[in-house]
Amino acid sequence: MKRLKLEKEKCLGCKLCAVVCSAYKEGAYRPSAARLDIQSHYENGGLVYDDRFCILCGICAKNCPEGAIVQEEYITVDHSKCVGCGTCLEKCPKNAPKIRDKKSYICDTCEGTPNCVRTCPQNALVFA
Amino acid sequence: MFGYTGKVLRINLSAGSCGVEPLRMDWADKYIGSKGLSIRYLYEELAPHTDPLSPENKLLLTTGPLTGTPIPCSGKLAVTSKSPATGTISDASIGGHIGAEIKFAGYDMVIIEGRAQDPSYILIDDDKVSVESADGIWGKGAYETEDLIKAKHGCDHSVLAIGPAGENLSTMACINTDYYRQAGRGGLGAVMGSKNVKAVAVRGTGAVDVPDIKKTTDRIIDILTSDVLVEDNTFVYDVGTTAFLEACNDGGILPSKNFSDTTDKDWVKYNGDVLMTYRQGKRGCGCCGLGCGNFLKFKGGTVEGPEYETISVAGPNAGVDDPESIMKYNEVADDMGLDTISAGDVIVWAMEMTEKGIHDFGIRFGEGEKMCDLLRMMAYREGFGADLADGVKKAAAKYGGSEYTLEVKGLEYPQYEPRGSWGMSLSYAVSDRGACHMRAYAPNVEVFEAAAPPYTAEGKGEMVYQLAEFNAVKFSACICDFWATLDYAILSELLTLVTGKEWTEQDMSDTGRRVINIARAFNQREGFSRKEDTIPKRLVKEALASGPAKGQKIPKEAFDDMLDQYYGVMGWDKNGLMPDELISSLM
Repeated sequence: MKRLKLEKEKCLGCKLCAVVCSAYKEGAYRPSAARLDIQSHYENGGLVYDDRFCILCGICAKNCPEGAIVQEEYITVDHSKCVGCGTCLEKCPKNAPKIRDKKSYICDTCEGTPNCVRTCPQNALVFA
Repeated sequence: MFGYTGKVLRINLSAGSCGVEPLRMDWADKYIGSKGLSIRYLYEELAPHTDPLSPENKLLLTTGPLTGTPIPCSGKLAVTSKSPATGTISDASIGGHIGAEIKFAGYDMVIIEGRAQDPSYILIDDDKVSVESADGIWGKGAYETEDLIKAKHGCDHSVLAIGPAGENLSTMACINTDYYRQAGRGGLGAVMGSKNVKAVAVRGTGAVDVPDIKKTTDRIIDILTSDVLVEDNTFVYDVGTTAFLEACNDGGILPSKNFSDTTDKDWVKYNGDVLMTYRQGKRGCGCCGLGCGNFLKFKGGTVEGPEYETISVAGPNAGVDDPESIMKYNEVADDMGLDTISAGDVIVWAMEMTEKGIHDFGIRFGEGEKMCDLLRMMAYREGFGADLADGVKKAAAKYGGSEYTLEVKGLEYPQYEPRGSWGMSLSYAVSDRGACHMRAYAPNVEVFEAAAPPYTAEGKGEMVYQLAEFNAVKFSACICDFWATLDYAILSELLTLVTGKEWTEQDMSDTGRRVINIARAFNQREGFSRKEDTIPKRLVKEALASGPAKGQKIPKEAFDDMLDQYYGVMGWDKNGLMPDELISSLM
C-alpha cells in the first residue's frame, strides 16, 4: 500500500501542500481545513517540524464506533454514519483527522493521486 | 469578494479599541495591495510632518489579493509607516507566514495607531483581537520573544517581534518574524517600539476565495512548474543570495572597507560554497516553492542566512574574511532587532573613523568579533552606541567624518558599489525610502547581464524607471523579488484569475508608475525634493583604486544628468517636484 511520507530535509515549511489540499477538497484556499498540516518553525534556536498527516495505519477505522471509517487503498469516511465523536482523532497517532460540523475529515490521498505530493515544489512529500 | 477579504482591522492602542471597516476598493483598484495600497492609506491618514515616533504615526500591515493563495513567492507582507530614519514613507516587505495568517484571519490590512499605555503585544485570533501585557517579554531578544508568545498561544501563530533596538527606538530597528525574516529597513521596529508594542501574533482559520478554484489552482501549479522552478530561479534554493558575492566581486561592485574600494581576493573564504557546509535545513515563506532560507549551525550559534547584504557588510566591507564571524554578526543583529545593513554600515564607518584618527570608536577593520559588541551597544544605547543607534548620518553630525558616510536621506547604503554601476547611484537617490536596493536593481542590467554600459549616465533615467516601475507593481501585488522570471503577462494573469477583475499588462505598467508617484507625493508633502536626492561625497571625489571598475568615480554632472533624465521620465520638474494635476490623478 502506498503511503504519504515526508522527507524533512527537503521540506521548506511553505505550507503549499495544505493550501492546495484545501483548494481541491474544500473549494477555497483555507489551509486550516486541509487534511494535512506540515509546518516548521524555529524554537529555542533549533528548527522544529510539526507534521500531521494520514499514514494509513488504519487505527481510526478499527476504532470508529459507528463503523463510518473504511480503509482500503485509502481512507473513506461515510458522513451519513459519522457523528463527529472524535474517536478517530483521539486514537490517531498522527493527530490527522479534522473534526468540524460534527463530521470527521480524513485524507483520502485524492484517491491515489495526492495533489499535495504532485505540487510539493521540492519533492519533500512522497507517495510510495 | 475574490482575492481580497474586503476588511481592514484598525487597532487604536491609545483608546484601547479596535474595529473592522471595509477596505477602500476604489484605492485597491488603483494600487492593488501591499506597498501601493498602504502608501495610499497613509497619504490619506497621516497629517504632514507627523513625528514618526509619536502616537500619531501609524503602522500598517498590508497583504495583497494574492496573499494566502498557492501562488509562488506570495508569502510576503508590507509593513508601512513614516520612517524615523528618513522622515519619508517607508514600506518594508517581510516574509514568513504572517501575511497569510492576517489574510486567513479575515483582513487585508491591519492599521495600528496610537500608543499603548504599557508594554504590550497584540493578539489576533480570527475575529478575536486583544492587547495583552508584555510583562516578562519586554526587554527580551527577538528570538526569545517569539518563543515565549508561541509557547503561550501555540506555534500555529505567526509572530512579528521587535528586539531591544526597537524598544530603545533605534532608527535602525527592524521587525522580525520566523526568527530570521525581517522588515529590515527604515527603523519600522522603532515605530512599533514607540507604540509600546513588542509583538503582533496572528492566527487565521478563514479562507481566500477566487472565482474558479480548480482553474486557478491548476494554472498556478502549471506556472510553478514552468516558470518558477526553472534554472534562472532555482539558484535561490541552492545557495540563495550568497551567489551575488562572486557576481559582485567579479563585476567590481562588492564594497570593501566602508566603500573605500571594491573587490576582495579572499571572497572564497566566506562564499556560498563555504556557508552551505554549515547547512542544517531549508526554509521558505508561505507557498514559496524556491526556499531561499538556509538554516546554518556553527560553533558559536545558529542563523538562517546570512544573505548577500549581510555577508558583504560584515565581511569585505568590514575587512573581515571569517565566515563564522559573519554568521555571528547576523545572529546577534537579528536578535537585537537591528537591520544588518544599516547597523553594519554604521560599524564599518566607525572602523574607518578609528583608522583615520577622526574619532576612536575602539574598533578597526578586520575586528569582526567586536562588531557584535557594537550591535549590543547600539541596541541598548550604551556608551557611544547611543549615538550610533540613530544611523550614520546623525553619528557623523556629532563625530565628524561625513565625507565617509554612505547614505541617502539618512538611510544607509546597501552593498552595491555605484562607481561600478552608475545607475545604482540614481536608484539609491530617488528611492522612496532612502538608499534602497529593492526599488530599482541597476546592477542586474549594468553588471550581471551587461545589457547597459555601467560607467555612463546615458540612458540611466529610463533604465532605472523601468526597473522601479516593475518592482513597484510587483511589491504592490506582494510578490517576492526572487521570482526573477516574473513578467507583466504572468502577473496580470494571476491578478485576473484571483480577483475576477480583468488586469492587463498595461495596467501593471500604469500601476507601477502610480505607486512610485504616490510615494513621491507623500515625500514631497513632507518637504522632500531634488536637494535630498543625493549621492554620497565619496563616490564623486574618490576613484576606485582596484578591481574591474578601477579608476571610476561618478562626476557630479553625470549624477545630475541622471536625475534630470529620471525626473523627465516621471513628469516631475527640475527640482524633482510633481505638478498638482499629477498628484490629483493619484487620489
